[in-house]
Amino acid sequence: MTKFNISRRTFVEGGLGLTVANFLPGTMPLASAATMEESTIAAAKSAGPAAVNGMIWSPYLVPMQPVIAEFSKQTNITIGAVQDISIFDAPQRAMAEALSRSPQFDFIHIDSNMIPSLVSAGYLEPLDEYMKKANFKIDAVGDYGTFMTYGGQTYGVPTDGNVHIQYVRKDIIEDPDNKKRFADKFGKELKFPQTWEEEQTIQEFFMDPSKDLYGSANLRNRANGPTWWYMIYYSAGGFPFDDDMKPTLNTPAGQYAVDIYLKDKKYNHPEAANWGTPQQIPRIAQGHVVSTQYWDGTAKLNENPAKSKTTGKWLYGLVPGSDFSGKRMHRSISSPLAAILINKYSPRKAQAAYLALWLGSGKNSIPIVTDPVNTFNDAWAKEHMTSDAVKNAYSPAGVKAIEANFQVVAPPIYLTGYLEFQDALGKNLSEAFVGQLPAKDVLKKTEDEWTAIIRRIGQSKLKKDLVSYKALMPKRLKPA
Amino acid sequence: MAMTKSQRRRITSGVRYVVLSVWGLMAFFPIYWIISTSFKLDTQWFAWPPYYFPSPPTLANYMNVWFGAEEYAQTQYAISSQKPLISLYNSTVIAVTSTFLSVLFGSMIAYGVSRYRILSEARMFQLLMLRMIPPIVIVAPLSLYYTAIGLIDTRFGLILVYFLTTLPYAVWMTKSFIDEVPLEVEQAAEILGASRWRTVFEIVLPLIRSGLVATFLFILILTWSEYLLALIITKTQVTTLPIELSKYQGSTEGRVYGRQAALAVGITVPLMIVGLIIRKHLARGFSFGMVRR
Amino acid sequence: MTVAALSAAEAPLQASPRAVSRRRAVRRFKLSLLAPLIALFAFVLMPVLLLQLYFSVHQWTVYLGSWWDADYIGLDLFKEVLTDPRFGWAVLRSLAFATGSTVGCFVFGFLLAYLMHKPFRGQAIYYIIFILPMLTVPVVVAYTAEMMLYQSGPLNDVITRLSGIEFKPSWLSDPHLALMTVSLLEIWNWTPFSFIIMLAGLTAIPKEPIEAAEILGASKWRIFWEVQVPLLRPVILLALVLRFLEAMAEFPKTWSLFQGGPGSATETLPVYIFMTTWQYFEISKGAAMSYIVMLLMIVIVLFAIRLLRREKRSLDKMYEQTDSPKVEA
Repeated sequence: MTKFNISRRTFVEGGLGLTVANFLPGTMPLASAATMEESTIAAAKSAGPAAVNGMIWSPYLVPMQPVIAEFSKQTNITIGAVQDISIFDAPQRAMAEALSRSPQFDFIHIDSNMIPSLVSAGYLEPLDEYMKKANFKIDAVGDYGTFMTYGGQTYGVPTDGNVHIQYVRKDIIEDPDNKKRFADKFGKELKFPQTWEEEQTIQEFFMDPSKDLYGSANLRNRANGPTWWYMIYYSAGGFPFDDDMKPTLNTPAGQYAVDIYLKDKKYNHPEAANWGTPQQIPRIAQGHVVSTQYWDGTAKLNENPAKSKTTGKWLYGLVPGSDFSGKRMHRSISSPLAAILINKYSPRKAQAAYLALWLGSGKNSIPIVTDPVNTFNDAWAKEHMTSDAVKNAYSPAGVKAIEANFQVVAPPIYLTGYLEFQDALGKNLSEAFVGQLPAKDVLKKTEDEWTAIIRRIGQSKLKKDLVSYKALMPKRLKPA
Repeated sequence: MAMTKSQRRRITSGVRYVVLSVWGLMAFFPIYWIISTSFKLDTQWFAWPPYYFPSPPTLANYMNVWFGAEEYAQTQYAISSQKPLISLYNSTVIAVTSTFLSVLFGSMIAYGVSRYRILSEARMFQLLMLRMIPPIVIVAPLSLYYTAIGLIDTRFGLILVYFLTTLPYAVWMTKSFIDEVPLEVEQAAEILGASRWRTVFEIVLPLIRSGLVATFLFILILTWSEYLLALIITKTQVTTLPIELSKYQGSTEGRVYGRQAALAVGITVPLMIVGLIIRKHLARGFSFGMVRR
Repeated sequence: MTVAALSAAEAPLQASPRAVSRRRAVRRFKLSLLAPLIALFAFVLMPVLLLQLYFSVHQWTVYLGSWWDADYIGLDLFKEVLTDPRFGWAVLRSLAFATGSTVGCFVFGFLLAYLMHKPFRGQAIYYIIFILPMLTVPVVVAYTAEMMLYQSGPLNDVITRLSGIEFKPSWLSDPHLALMTVSLLEIWNWTPFSFIIMLAGLTAIPKEPIEAAEILGASKWRIFWEVQVPLLRPVILLALVLRFLEAMAEFPKTWSLFQGGPGSATETLPVYIFMTTWQYFEISKGAAMSYIVMLLMIVIVLFAIRLLRREKRSLDKMYEQTDSPKVEA
């Protein structure tokens, strides 16, 4: 089987080389005056026409279609067969592709935190060469572009910022009566929460189950829970591993994060333990929630009067921080950060790569991130932050909040074996949330399970990964 | 207090109707819920309190899911790639072909068992193991094996495993029909000089054709609704309907229940029709010769 | 075959050449009837089982290289699985789920079948409605449950309205209820199965023994326990065994609805194996688990088969006595 693979790959690459050679004399030399988009087109043309196959979820693909159509018109590179699969299921399916070394998909649209695992499984094509040819650069807000890199190479093009921002109901916390009641009870002013403790005070004070109004809509299910936990943990100054790749969860900062995380049970809907986005997103937009951290795309939904009962009733801002480490620190999170990655085994990888670059230019992606109906692609590029279309969709305050959170955005674990690490933590947090596991045992148990994972994948390998992981962590305590 | 016999009978009968009707309502309510949701507007899918009737009923879910009607894409969740019709085609081809193979070869084996004892009774029961071992324990190596021999994500690949896993049912069920065919018919055919194959195909199988139809439809129910194997060994090319159903989650409405229900109705209704056609034979399919008539 | 061997085989039979060729033809015919089954075993099942065996004794870490380069580690993985408390819990959950849903299906199925085994007005309609749940695709059952079982959803709402008492269990979020919720769904989905088998069994019971008992003045209760139930034993056993085995393998509903959560309340064997293999990519550990489960199931199945065969034989004997001599090849 190995032999067969190699010979076919060599054959395909040889063929590709020939094609490129045939096309090169005809193409224009890349003028330095050409825009990034023009040079992407030129490079794509030199790769020749093809229909590229991919794995991508409908709600992401729908708003991309007009942009892809434009690319196809200019380059004859079109979309062929598509596996339509949820972003939460895609990582498992992509790994299954990787371990069977299948050339079936040319690109996969997936959580970028899968990059280390997929590179280690030998599946991903580095994009640096293509980016150089197309004169392309990921022009993201803050250090967000580094989220696409691993071991010094770039492996993905983002389509979806998916950064968490803070949502607080304006009509509730700016109501004079409420302000007075709050001040009377707590002896301090009611304002936009700055810390986790402040937020929970507000959530507790205003929640009223008899009116179906709950304090929070944070996700606490097994799959998404860790995303919220990392925000708290990072903001308390925690980091999950020491330099020797020993887990460092079971620390005061870790326990602090677990406690805050579990307290949410009091303010969240009683069914939160098994609820994901399908249940919580409608509740946010329909006005059943006081204050929550959520992906930025929900702002688009909230501000779309056709879909939402709370248009104009929200304040957007920086997610809460913590004083736990002695310094006030804020950490937002981006997960799943949907990005386009390219299959190394694909015979059409060049074409797929240029399509990805085309979709990843700030200018081209404006219509993608502003779709008011299919709101999964969220703003991420510098160019988005100044675009009127984007401001319309997210509201100017929403855009400001996105920009602020991007400056302190962190990934969840960025290591080979991401899914294993994530699910161990998710399972234990979920067990604690529903009362199957004492809160004090969560981190101990997770550390044990992580140690087993580390042993299996290899400590020395993961120590190398750790360098890339640390490179992604934000440097400033709070947005400038 | 003494009761006359007819009074007692009336009470028993009354109790019977009450119990059966309560269960009937419980059995039917979820099915009603799928159907009614498939006619609901998006605001009524997930509501507090729930809407029991679609008001007003809409065909939008069906139009969008099955025909990819674009006008809904502008205002509501829409699927991009118009897959359900393709999946319907895949499901039909895969289920029908594998079922056909299963019944054809199953009835031949059953004939051999009934007339020539090619499998002992113990072997016949061991055959059931193919069905009783959970498929989860073989999907991982199966998918790697299929990748290696190029059967992954092909209709043929799926047909082959469905054929394998439904064969025990086909053998057992058709055997119960063949056992009822009097041996004299075959002996007569043999005396007239018919070959063994002709006897099978021209005498025996036609005699049990209603039984074969029942077996066919019975196995169709199993192959049509299979989930786990299809989830693992199909990708872009041959997605079946049960797999298609699992990705209906919108970006804003959350899970798109109405669309999902419209698809679910399309998946379930054919199955119910098939089931109702063969309702008299269902017991035989499940009973492995343990129920005599 | 050598000539000597051939003649040695034939000698005692003193068969004519025609009979020999006929016997050969019969053997060929029998073989060709079995050929597809043999081919399926040889080309699908065997390679898969061998591959599984390979994985269960080799540690393949998917991030470290190809599967054909994996290190041989003997039975380490089996040891790891057998000492893994999560695996133990998964076994217990699966057993609890299968037992609960089997008993539930049986009780309801039997009750309904008993109420329906004599003709009455409207029987056909009831029969049709009763078998509908079985004809609902399991994934559809899962999503319908999601639509109906949220806390203020239609089910709780209907019960609250009918009873006038606030009825608000969180079917999908309460870890104490979650496994029961799936069991109830399984019961809803598959009671028709038990119902159909029991109904067929009840209608097939010969009338004579019951009539005889009635003449002797036995109460209905005694007739039920001492005449009908013993006659139904094979059918009851079949309904229990098949349902139990299918419930052990239940995956689509559990997975679509819960993915193992809340906490790990619904992490049954199929779910845990699925997660180990397709979420953690511990293909090797998953293979070891699969083998253990397969052995466990084979033991259960063999035991069940013994029981079934015994029942079938006594059934056959009984019918041979009552029926006209059966035609047999």
